[in-house]
Amino acid sequence: MTQEATPGTMEPLIPGTRTVSARRFRKSLRKDSSLYLLALPGIIILILFAYLPMSGLILVFKNYNFNDGIFGSPWAGFANFEFFFSSMEDALRATRNTVMLNALYMLTGTFFSVAIAIILNELRSRWFIKVTQSVMFFPYFISWIIIGAILFSLLDYDKGILNQLLQSLGLSQMDWYSSPWLFVVILVLANIWKSAGYGAIIYYAVLQGVDTSYYEAARIDGASRWQIITKITVPMLIPSIILMTLLGIGGMLKGDLSMIMGVTFLNPLLLPTTDIIDVYVYRTAIRSGEFGFASAITLYQSVFGFILVLVANKLAGWYDKDSKLF
Amino acid sequence: MQTTENKGLVIFFYVCIAVFSVICLVPFVLAVSGSLSTESRIAAEGYSFWPRGFTFETYQFLFGSKAEQILRAYSMSLVVTVLGTLTAVLVTTAYAYVISVRNFRLKNFFAFFAYFTMLFSGGTLPWYLLSTKYYHLGDTLLGLFIPYVLSVFLMFLMANYFRSIPHEIVESAQIDGAGHLRIFFSIMIPLGRVGLVTISLFYALQFWNDFYLPLMLVNNQDLYTIQYLMYNMMANIQFLASGNAAQVGGAIIAPPLETAKMAMTCLTVLPIAILYPFLQGFFVKGIIVGSVKG
Repeated sequence: MTQEATPGTMEPLIPGTRTVSARRFRKSLRKDSSLYLLALPGIIILILFAYLPMSGLILVFKNYNFNDGIFGSPWAGFANFEFFFSSMEDALRATRNTVMLNALYMLTGTFFSVAIAIILNELRSRWFIKVTQSVMFFPYFISWIIIGAILFSLLDYDKGILNQLLQSLGLSQMDWYSSPWLFVVILVLANIWKSAGYGAIIYYAVLQGVDTSYYEAARIDGASRWQIITKITVPMLIPSIILMTLLGIGGMLKGDLSMIMGVTFLNPLLLPTTDIIDVYVYRTAIRSGEFGFASAITLYQSVFGFILVLVANKLAGWYDKDSKLF
Repeated sequence: MQTTENKGLVIFFYVCIAVFSVICLVPFVLAVSGSLSTESRIAAEGYSFWPRGFTFETYQFLFGSKAEQILRAYSMSLVVTVLGTLTAVLVTTAYAYVISVRNFRLKNFFAFFAYFTMLFSGGTLPWYLLSTKYYHLGDTLLGLFIPYVLSVFLMFLMANYFRSIPHEIVESAQIDGAGHLRIFFSIMIPLGRVGLVTISLFYALQFWNDFYLPLMLVNNQDLYTIQYLMYNMMANIQFLASGNAAQVGGAIIAPPLETAKMAMTCLTVLPIAILYPFLQGFFVKGIIVGSVKG
């Protein structure tokens, strides 16, 4: 067991010959058997819930029926794509909603997280920072279902706090749950409320690592507080902001089903703006059983998402070699 | 002049943070207040930040007629959280250890094998069909946590912790004849305590809050978790209304629908709120470690 630590045995053998690599693999299996054993549960989980579902994408070319299963169902050729393009409108709507909501979440979420982090960095009162940081982080721990329930008590037509407020101001009540475009604003605000405190922690941690001599030098040179923020703090955060944004771009086509379900309860009146791809697949395939169509849109989501990740990675590489994800 | 400008700015900053912090807490006050109000006054006057007609009736109603169902969902959530977290931490740390072993030839392959799943996925539908038709996870306890026991992100976080443990300790153990299993269980796990606690907390939170898995895989009411029960309650009022109109002295008493929703909200958040002060620090530490090198 111990001699493997000597560098000599780790030198690569002449590559290419099959017998050598097979023998090497067998040797490695014996030598590192306990490592394979430790990795095994994880490998099984990854295969079952990540890799096999990828192969399930052949569903796109199948005429799925539940009895024959994924692999036994008859081939359908490109029929599902015809179906896909025939209901293009719904698919496009779902895509537009997903990208639109994610882009809005990303823009507003980043802005608020960064703003909170910068402000916290300016404050001197330790206990104030500690207490408010804890409070702002708390919503992150709450599930969307609960947030949806509380939102209902805010937005309900008759009983909601918001409409009571509008009434007391002499304005007419709003029917929030049937205003798809207004609800986009509500979703964005809910997202900020839930995650800005969490995001702020990341940026605040970056700022804590900044060399204090920058600040001291700026102060000696007579920079105002505002100048210090815009000329030192913000530039310090830009690499992290870019990295987080690039990470987010890859997930642009992934929606948060739990959020939409938890907050809108799939209210049909709100679907024009809340029908994201995942919700769409859930509604058409899992609830209504129209598998062929949903599989076409799933493939499209996977492939498009993958391309987005590759593009984001390329961009990250251009910006900074270390930011590259792989 | 400059100092006064700065003073104003600083006060403005304090106010901003204070206001946002209050906004973060206000909705919970609303929920507590709603749960302690009387149904009739909520129906007539709407929700408010101060209980309308302070009463514990709603909780009495829930614990009276819905106790069994709520307790079952509660214990189901607890079981899923405990089992899920234990399994997940074991699977995750073991995999993380393997890719953190310095001279393991395939460590990069295994790392990429996990990483690739973050980039590309088959999507919801094939996942759903495989889980229900081939793995038979529909309406099973396993289905409520098994799909989530390896979070690739937390796995890499854990691998970073393992890599930060001085290599000399591992080397000396190897010289003493310890194998990987031994090193993993009696050196890495105790030394990686902080990382272990962090990922356990993240997993526990995820399992407690999850409602995706029950939504996809569960029909049997016995397997409802508290979050899913809550969802059903919000999505259809029937849960509370059905067979509950208790007859007392000839009069039909309607169940408290609105206040019950708020009471359930409070009950679901309660465990998190109680544990939060103790756990919050670990999460912050975990996020910082994960973001500095992630």
